[in-house]
Amino acid sequence: MRRDLNRLLIVWLLLLILGAAEVAASYLPLPRAWRPLVMLPGAMMVGVVALGFMEVRRGSVLVRAFAVAGIFWLLVLLVLGSVDPLTRTNYPVPDAQLR
Amino acid sequence: MASTVRQDFQYASPTHQAETAIAGMWLFLATEVLFFGGLILCWIYSRHFNAPGFDAGARQTALWIGTLNTAILVTSSLVYAIGLAFVRAGDTRRLIQCCLLTLALGIAFLGLKFGLEWRLDFAHHLFPADPYFWIAGSLSGGARLFFVFYFISTALHGLHMVIGVGLLLWIIRRARRGEFSPLYHTPVQVVGLYWSFVDVVWIILYPLIYLVGRGQ
Repeated sequence: MRRDLNRLLIVWLLLLILGAAEVAASYLPLPRAWRPLVMLPGAMMVGVVALGFMEVRRGSVLVRAFAVAGIFWLLVLLVLGSVDPLTRTNYPVPDAQLR
Repeated sequence: MASTVRQDFQYASPTHQAETAIAGMWLFLATEVLFFGGLILCWIYSRHFNAPGFDAGARQTALWIGTLNTAILVTSSLVYAIGLAFVRAGDTRRLIQCCLLTLALGIAFLGLKFGLEWRLDFAHHLFPADPYFWIAGSLSGGARLFFVFYFISTALHGLHMVIGVGLLLWIIRRARRGEFSPLYHTPVQVVGLYWSFVDVVWIILYPLIYLVGRGQ
């Protein structure tokens, strides 16, 4: 019981530290394209919650398969969905054509 | 009702039944990941084409409320996980106390989010359909789009929180009846997974709303 409590408190402290790092990172003078990198500590927090509070490693093979599948299909959704907007060149439309 | 090991007829053993319930919750959470994934994709797409407006919108959000709410949710997951450890050790009374504290933290989150922050947002003319929208000029369109994302995402997350509060009440009720023991506490585990997932969703939404673009 005491070991469990210590482990959970360490997980909680790690989450608070990562959260603080995320807030600090948001004030870094990053170029516009790099600003979403502020989310990196947040992504680490998700991993910490999954391992520390949701005990994904203690789950069955099926549990791990569902967890991995959720992340896999999320990446498919985000990567394929972002390819078009992130690679498209938008040419300005002359005012005359807007009227 | 005294706590007993539960086994319905279609399962080979109580362990099989517990594993199936937990795997079922994980499968549900995988579908929820994709549900919120669509929202995140909207953010990527809209921000890419309206970055200055999104930055201007992010700077108008109440960072202190968002940060406090993040700490509250993370702490609520900790408290619930401690409750789970207690029921595994056979202490149902402590489980109920932990659930009540988790419930209080969840309600505090909802109160700060919708009772205070949304009220301030409306008062500051940050609702995207407001004719006197706070951010004017060339950034207005992008900032309005940002606040569309803000209101929809926080409302959807809030809805999940309300469902979580209901589930916590259900766990407290069953725990008071003495239905859980070290041998049978699968519903406590399953609700814990849901509650931590709602926490994870907020951990993702927090930087998208409050942090990205704030320092510029």
